[in-house]
Amino acid sequence: MEERQQEDFEIIDCHCHIAAEEHTPRSFIEGSIANMTAALTAQGVPVTNRKLMTMFLSKMQDPLCDGLVAEMADAGIVKSILLIADFTYALKDCVLTIEESFHKHREVLARHPGKFEVFGGVDPRWGKDGLALFERSLTEFGFRGLKLYPPCGFSPSDRTLFPYYELCAHYHVPVLLHIGPTSPVLDFTFSSPFLLDEAARLFPSVNFILAHGAVSFVEECTMMCRFRPNVYLDISGFEATLGYDPSAGAIKAITSLGLNHKVLFGTDFPVFRLQGEQKSFVETLMAEDGPLSDLNEREKLLIFNRNAQRLVEKAVAVPA
Amino acid sequence: MELNVKLEEKILGLIAEGIPGKFKKVKLTHETNLQKELGLDSIGMLALVFRFEEVFGIDIAQLGIEINIAKLRTVGDLLQAGQDILTEAESRVS
Repeated sequence: MEERQQEDFEIIDCHCHIAAEEHTPRSFIEGSIANMTAALTAQGVPVTNRKLMTMFLSKMQDPLCDGLVAEMADAGIVKSILLIADFTYALKDCVLTIEESFHKHREVLARHPGKFEVFGGVDPRWGKDGLALFERSLTEFGFRGLKLYPPCGFSPSDRTLFPYYELCAHYHVPVLLHIGPTSPVLDFTFSSPFLLDEAARLFPSVNFILAHGAVSFVEECTMMCRFRPNVYLDISGFEATLGYDPSAGAIKAITSLGLNHKVLFGTDFPVFRLQGEQKSFVETLMAEDGPLSDLNEREKLLIFNRNAQRLVEKAVAVPA
Repeated sequence: MELNVKLEEKILGLIAEGIPGKFKKVKLTHETNLQKELGLDSIGMLALVFRFEEVFGIDIAQLGIEINIAKLRTVGDLLQAGQDILTEAESRVS
C-alpha cells in the first residue's frame, strides 16, 4: 500500500533565495544578464543590458518574502529553505554586509513562522568574525545550515572551512554548496563537486548537499552521492533545461538511478522567475506523464519532503 | 475581449518565429502551452516580448506597464497580454 497519495505531499523546497537586490550584488546580476544579452542579440532581438536589468530587477522586489509565501501556497510548497550566499568578500558592490544580510533573513524567519528555514553563508576568508557570525546564526538566529559559494574563490575542502564543518557536526546541521556554472564575474574552476571530496571524507558526520547536481557535473555528483554516505544533491536549476527539453528529461534521468534517498527538490527561486511561477515548475514535475511518473509514492515523498526534513530536523540549535 | 484578427495574426507570427526548430510542427491553438509544447524558456519569452515591442513600436518598461511573464502559460495568455498591453499603451499615449 502506498504511504501517501500524491495530492497529500507537503513539499519542501530546499533551494530558495530572497528576491531582493540587496542580497545580490549588481555585478553578479550584470554578469548573468550579459549571457542573456549575448543569446538574444545573436537571434537579432533588439535588446540592451539596461533593459534586461530593469526587467530582472522588477522580479526582485520581495524583501520580506510575502510574494514568495503566496507562490509557495499556490504550488503546494509548505516550507522553503532560504540560502544566503556570501558574495561580500569576492564582489565589492554588495549593498549589505554579510551580518546585515543575516539579520534581514532572521526578520523574514520571524515574519513567516514555520514557512522557512535559513542556511547562512559565510566566505571563510572573513576569518574569526565570519565563524562567530555563523555560530551565532545557529545558536541565536534559528538558522539550520551552512551555505557555501565556492566560485567566490575557495575550495569546499579548504582548511579554513574546517572550523565551520566542526560547528556543523556539533550542531547537526547540513552544508549546501553551489556546483557548476554561475555568473561570469566569478571563478568556475571552484565549481566542481570533486573539490568537496576531501571535506566529505574528513567530516563523515556532516551532510553535504550538491546544489544543481541534477544539471551540472551530473556524473560526478551521482558518483559522490552513491559512494559518500553523507553527500546529497538537489535538482534546482532543472528549469534551465526546459527550453530544449520540456519533459524535464534531466530529472527523469537523475531519479532513475536508485539514488532517490539522496535527491532533494529545489527551485532556486527567484532565478527562473521570468520563466514561470513555483506552481508551474511543480506541475511540470508532478504531471501524470512527467519525469517522475515511473516513481512510486514513497520515492516521490523522499524527494519532495523526507530527505530535506531528515537533514534539517537533527539540528540542535535554537528554535526559529 | 475579442481579439482583433490582424493583431492575433501578428502575435501568432511572432510566436512562430521564436519557436525552436524541434517544435516547429506543433499546431498553435489558444490552449498550446508555451513551455511544454513550444519549448519557450526564459530567453525565448524575453525574445518574444522584445520582438513584440519592436513590431508595435512601444517600450513596455518606459510606458510603466507591468507584464508578468511568469504568468503567461499558453498561446491564449500571450494573445490576451498583447491585446492588454496595446490597449494600455494607447490609453497612456492619448
